Order: sequence, then C-alpha cells, then structure tokens
Amino acid sequence: MTTIARTDQWSRCHRAARTEGVAAALTELATAVLPGLLPCGPAGHAIVPTAIAAGAARVWADGVTVDRGSAAEKALGVIELPGGDVELLRHQVRPGANGFSPAERAGWTLGLVWLRLGLSEELRETAMRYLNGRRTGNSTLLQQQMVKSTVADGLIEHLEVRAVLTGIGPGELPDTVLNHLHTQLTYADRALVKLLGASGYLAGGPGQVARVSELLAEAYCRPEV
Amino acid sequence: MIQLDDRLLALRAQVREWGADFRALGLALDRDPELIREHFDLPAVRYLSTMGIPPEYGNVPIPIAGNRFYGTLALERAIIMEELSCADVGMLVASPGPLLAGVLIDLLADEQQKDWFYGRMLESPLWTFFALTEPDRGSDAGALSTTVVPATADRPALLSGAKRYVGNAARAQLGVVFARTSPGPLGINAVLVENPSTGFHAEALETIGLRGARISAITMDEVEIPPERFLGRHLSPSRRGMWAFVQTFNLLRPGVAAIALGIARAAHEYVITHRTSLRRDECDRLDLLARRIDGARRLVHLAAAAVDARTGDGYLASAAKVRAAQLAHDATQEACTFFGAGARLEHPVLDKLVRDARGMEFIEGTSNMQKLNLFQGLFTGKLDREDPFRTAPLAAV
Ligand SMILES: Cc1cc2nc3c(=O)[nH]c(=O)nc-3n(C[C@H](O)[C@H](O)[C@H](O)COP(=O)(O)OP(=O)(O)OC[C@H]3O[C@@H](n4cnc5c(N)ncnc54)[C@H](O)[C@@H]3O)c2cc1C
Repeated sequence: MTTIARTDQWSRCHRAARTEGVAAALTELATAVLPGLLPCGPAGHAIVPTAIAAGAARVWADGVTVDRGSAAEKALGVIELPGGDVELLRHQVRPGANGFSPAERAGWTLGLVWLRLGLSEELRETAMRYLNGRRTGNSTLLQQQMVKSTVADGLIEHLEVRAVLTGIGPGELPDTVLNHLHTQLTYADRALVKLLGASGYLAGGPGQVARVSELLAEAYCRPEV
Repeated sequence: MIQLDDRLLALRAQVREWGADFRALGLALDRDPELIREHFDLPAVRYLSTMGIPPEYGNVPIPIAGNRFYGTLALERAIIMEELSCADVGMLVASPGPLLAGVLIDLLADEQQKDWFYGRMLESPLWTFFALTEPDRGSDAGALSTTVVPATADRPALLSGAKRYVGNAARAQLGVVFARTSPGPLGINAVLVENPSTGFHAEALETIGLRGARISAITMDEVEIPPERFLGRHLSPSRRGMWAFVQTFNLLRPGVAAIALGIARAAHEYVITHRTSLRRDECDRLDLLARRIDGARRLVHLAAAAVDARTGDGYLASAAKVRAAQLAHDATQEACTFFGAGARLEHPVLDKLVRDARGMEFIEGTSNMQKLNLFQGLFTGKLDREDPFRTAPLAAV
C-alpha cells in the first residue's frame, strides 16, 4: 500500500512552492507521498495546511503509521501565509508502534528539500522584485554591489542544492546529506530575507514564509547525534 | 578592554535583578503587546519611562548603590539594554519612555522644548516615537520625501507624508517626525508631533518578532506644526536635520547592539538552564558561543565609550551593531540545536528568541549600511587605523 512518488511529483511540489506557496506545496507532497495521513516529524510535530490537519484519519510519524485517535494531539498554533495558512500540531506516537515504511519516509524527506528549495528560490525572486522597485541615488537597490553579491550567494546555494538533488530518487541521499541541504537553504533564506528590509519582518509576508520553511526543516529532520 | 567600575557593576546587577519581571511576562506580552499597560509599576518600566532625561529637568531616578543613573550616556544605556533584552526584549521595546526621541531632544532641542518634552515625560509614563523611515525610503533616509510646508502669514506650517515601521507610533502620545522644508540635505527638519493631532494617523503592523515594539505605519495629511515644535530652531540648518539624526543614531547604536547582545545571551543562558547534562562537543559549542558573546560585549562597550566621548564617532558602533546582530541570529539558531527535532515548536521561548533576533538586522540601519559606514570611517581616516579605540576614555587593560 506504499505510494512512492515519481520524479515529476517532486517537480510539481517544487513548482507549487514557487508559485502557490507553502500550503499548496505541502498538499502536493502529502497527497503524492502520504495520502490521507497527517505527516509528523521524528518528535511528533506536524506543519500542514488546514485541510490536511482536518482531514487526515491516520498519523504518520517519521515512517510509523498509527490511528489518529490513538494518541494525544496538541494544537500549537496557526500561521497565516500567502496562499493559505498552516497549522502547527504535535502528536505523541507511542514508541514501538509498528508499520514503519522506509519508502514513504524517503519520499517525504526528499520532497521536503525540493519544497524548501522552491520556497527559497521564490524568496530570491521576491527580493529582486522588491529591490528593483526601490531607488537609492540614481540607481535601484538591486544594482548596489553588496546587494548583487547577496543575491548571487543565495543563487549559488540554490544551484548547489539543485545540483545535488538532480537525478536523485527517494532514499538515495542519507539523512546527513539531506540535513546539510536544509542547512544551506536556511542559510540562503536568512541572507535573502534581509534584502527585503523591514517588509520581510511583517507577519503574513515572504519573511514569514522563510520562517515556516525553517520550521519545516526543524520539525521533519532527524537531528544528528 | 573596558573595565566597568563599581558604579556600573552595581547598575548592571540592579538591572539584572529587575529583568526577572520582564522574563516572567515576555511570552504573554508577545501574544498581546498591549499587556504592557498593566505593568507601568514595574521598577524597570518605571526606570525606562524617564531614562535619558538629564537631572537639570527634574529627573530623579531611584538610586542604585548610592548613585543615580540618568541613562544619558551610551555606555550606561548599553549595560541597561543588554540586561533587559536578555530578560525579555519585547518588554524592553514595549516600555514607554523618551528613548530614541529623547536622545534627539537632548542633542537638538532648545531649553523651552526640553522643558516641555521632558516635563511631559516626567508627569506620567508616555510612549514616544521617532519617525524617519518612509515606505519608499528606508536605508536612504537622506532622500526622505515627507514635507513640512513652512508657515505663511495666514496659516501654520503643515506636515504631510507617510512613515513606516516606526516603533510604538500607534500608541505614542508624542514623537518626532523628520520632514523636509526644501530639497537637499539642509532641507531636513525634525518636528515634534502630538498624537492625536488632526491629519495624523498611525496604525500598528503585525510583525514576526519584537512584537512589543508595535512598529507602525503613519500617514500625515496637513498636520499643523506650530513654530515652537521645530526642533533646533535656534541652530543653523546644517545642525538640524541630517546631522542631527546621524548623531542620534551614533549615540543609539551601541544600545541597539547591546539589545542584540542580550538576545544572544538569553539564547545561551536558555541552553545552560534547560539542558542539565551536556556532551563534550556540546560543551565546546556552548563555550565558543560564550566567547563570541564576550568578544561582542567588549566591542559594544568600547563603541559606547567612543560615542560618549565624541558623538561623531559612530564607526565602532557600526561594527558593534553588525557583529551583535549576526551573533543574535547565530546564537538563537544554535540554541535550537541543543533541543532536538522541533525545538522551536516545543520551546516557545526559543522560538520567540529566534523571531526577535531577526528584527535586529533592521533596527537603526541594516548590516549593509553599517558596513558602508564602517568602511567610510576607515577610508577617510576617521577611524584611527593605529589605535581604533583611542577615544574610549575607560580603556584600561
Ligand atoms: C523592529 C523595528 C523597529 C523599527 N523602528 C523604527 C523607528 O522607530 N523609526 C524609524 O524611522 N524606523 C524604524 N524601523 C525601520 C528601519 O530603520 C528600516 O527598516 C531600515 O532602515 C531599513 O529600511 P527598509 O526596511 O526600507 O529597507 P531597504 O532600505 O529597502 O533595504 C533593503 C535591503 O537593501 C539593502 N540596501 C539598501 N541600500 C543599500 C546600499 N546603498 N548598498 C547596499 N545595500 C543596500 C539593505 O541593507 C537591505 O538589505 C524599524 C524597523 C524594525 C524592523
């Protein structure tokens, strides 16, 4: 009953992240890899669009699937985002629950990097549009050399992450590599979001997307010990 | 390095103690920034409500180990800011008081204006604002476009334009607005504005962090400005506008750096308090963070002493601000790694520290702008290459 996503599903998720936002991209990924399940990370945290939070009958916790009613669930909050809100939940899955599926986990973890890459690339585009619309002296902020350098640094991270992901199927990259890719994306986001000035610090805007993107990595990655 | 003398050590100890209240209320204030209204009686809030008012205007702050600290010196403010932001930065930035506007008043206002402004601040705790940034002009503040059309025989001066991201403006009772009377750098003036005033509207913006600051969007449509509300009317135009905000920012910047430092320290202390046993490698990482915090503090204190000695000397403060803002980012992010998967979802205080830290990039100029300023100081020789801390009078060891 395992559903393994095909390559074009990563690109759909990646594209949705760029064009439609976090909620749509998470829906793409969850529908492809974990249909009908509430995806939770290794410590039981979930960051999902409202429809998935409301509709999933079973909980998937980092590879282990259990009935949703069988364990305590706590709502941690809702974050408003362009393109749809996400809910933050925590589910306590009993240790030793069975039904571990490495294929699903591999699909989810790989898809999540593609998703975050899409969000980060869109952040770069948003920053460039913002900077191109602001002037200092006779030129735009985008034409300032320090700004160009930051954009280029972000782009280099994106290109490397994409180079590592390209042609790779689920399960082919170990957790350490996936974690490193997440670190690179967080690094790129943090630099790029600064380029939005204080507009990137407003709730409900692109800076909030970057924050949720970081939270996704934190909720779903297995930290190294 | 700077050795804090016994006076300043006593100040630090007292403010650290006051900080316990801030820490206890931080998360609740983050959910509801108006909660501060119920806590005007806390010693730290009371202190902040008059901090920066010189003694000759009637400020009598409560004595600390036999001394009164008026908060008129950047070094004093750096110590206070670090402690209070380490306790909770939201409470700090939510507190009423003259803060930014007060520094400008001290620098620019004439006697009558000081009497009026400080007098009101001493009567009851009031919020003030300092409105410089505009929707289209942030970093390039010199190009601001808000106008104040000078008075004529039959009407007063009129202020029109928009400001954005101005701390506490929506709830402030008075503040300063930078506006131009004519094109060019000499055409910039600072005027005092009361809220409410006809034509003045301020609305809070929801932010990711530093929610206590209630940053606001302001619109001004022909707000009447009486002649006595033009700051520095007794000074030459070259000392009123851009010169004044550059000096003000120089004086404030070590304090902003100290806020970032306090956030970094809070993250470090959170790990120490909530992780009882640490592995060897974790101890090493934590030690490294402590050393970075310590190094940044030395820079912040020297930068503060430099602007206290000469208000034009803001180059070290730029270095301190960039360094401390990055440290706040790094320390809060690093702290999360000590608590496993989903740390930020599990530890609301950590999540808040991460969110608050991100705001430090923008307050009082972004890192890029500080770096450009720092380079300028080096290039023009205003930052002494041989002895960069030469103006710091307290340099001891
Ligand atoms: C919590 C908070 C409180 C604040 N409080 C106040 C306040 O009380 N009063 C007030 O007036 N303002 C306040 N601000 C606004 C703050 O001062 C501005 O956000 C800041 O100056 C940056 O302006 P901006 O947001 O328009 O960014 P922009 O100027 O649009 O900058 C966007 C990006 O371009 C970069 N950049 C711009 N110009 C250059 C250049 N020439 N070379 C290289 N890079 C460049 C910047 O570094 C930044 O990364 C506050 C902001 C925050 C977040």
